Amino acid sequence: MAEKFDNLEEHLEKFIENIRQLGIIVSDFQPSSQAGLNQKLNFMISGLQDIEKCRQQLHEINVPLEVFEYIDQGRNPQLYTKECLERALARNEQVKGKIDTLTKFKSLLVSELSKVFPEEMAKYKAIHGEDAPS
Amino acid sequence: MAEMFSTLFGSNEAQGPPGSSSLGFGPGKPPPPMPQNQVAMAGQIPPQLGDEGPALRKPGAMNEPFYLLRELPVGNELTGNTNLITHYNLEHAYNKFCGKKVKEKLSNFLPELPGMIDCPGTQDGSSLRSLIDKPPVCGNSFSPLTGALLTGFRLHTGPLPEQYRLMHIQPPKKKSKHKHKHHRPQDPLPQETPSDSDPKKKKKKRDDDPDRKKKKKDKKKKKNRHSPDHPGLAGSQPNSNSLR
Repeated sequence: MAEKFDNLEEHLEKFIENIRQLGIIVSDFQPSSQAGLNQKLNFMISGLQDIEKCRQQLHEINVPLEVFEYIDQGRNPQLYTKECLERALARNEQVKGKIDTLTKFKSLLVSELSKVFPEEMAKYKAIHGEDAPS
Repeated sequence: MAEMFSTLFGSNEAQGPPGSSSLGFGPGKPPPPMPQNQVAMAGQIPPQLGDEGPALRKPGAMNEPFYLLRELPVGNELTGNTNLITHYNLEHAYNKFCGKKVKEKLSNFLPELPGMIDCPGTQDGSSLRSLIDKPPVCGNSFSPLTGALLTGFRLHTGPLPEQYRLMHIQPPKKKSKHKHKHHRPQDPLPQETPSDSDPKKKKKKRDDDPDRKKKKKDKKKKKNRHSPDHPGLAGSQPNSNSLR
């Protein structure tokens, strides 16, 4: 998996560097630069072809749209990953807290019910087994 | 956050407490449909609860005092009771991204990318969102430009107008300064080792030393004059008393 990304990254870096050099040629154009410009333009096309080839290897990769929003805002996309992990952990903790609370509630309820309705609770335990009260 | 992570879940806790999956009162997962013989027995339960047949854990006669008992949830089900970050082996990613501060700007993520990439893409129409909303109209393949097609790329000589020079403007490089700061302690002190420049510095210091010493002496004298412990002041007080 990582090789595919490395391959794409390498092509993108080459493409960006070529574009940067193209920009430098164009920024102060001299007649003698025309041959170099033509070469760079064809490099750009071959670079696009290479990137196009990488697309076939990465068609199963899904990128969340929120990541694009981060990039469009000039923010580090790693912040999205960070926030996702923090959100996941927070939700995980919330759910664990609820489960723990309900477990304690169940235990308490069963013990209190056993005091008030001992016969019924004995039947309940007979049905559910001894797993109910902790 | 990391402390909460460890206090709530602990380090090696992969499974929840044993009683956690045995909640018998919750709605839980609907049990599988009952066999026909059990459905027939469901007629013994109160008529208003006849629709609850499939939800019953055991035949009505056996569950006599409890007509709303349901199946217990399956114990192996993955829930929020488990530390899901540990479960999916994401501790490394969590420590990487949440353990230290992630820099805010896009240029910190892509330091080698030329141009002003920290500006919002909506300003200059370079946003990825616009690329999705309005994909460019283009053909299916990229073909190299031949001689005839390249004639369209003959440019005028001279510099570009100001408005098109954005690509060469780089964001202020604060990073390089930080890098120097970080790298200096790591280097095996090559700059601090004696070199040609060091004796000059020492000489300068030596040259400055007499002046500094003079200044210091002057300052000390001034201070001592104004200080109450100074013998000069002490000497002056008797004089003032003597005037009385």
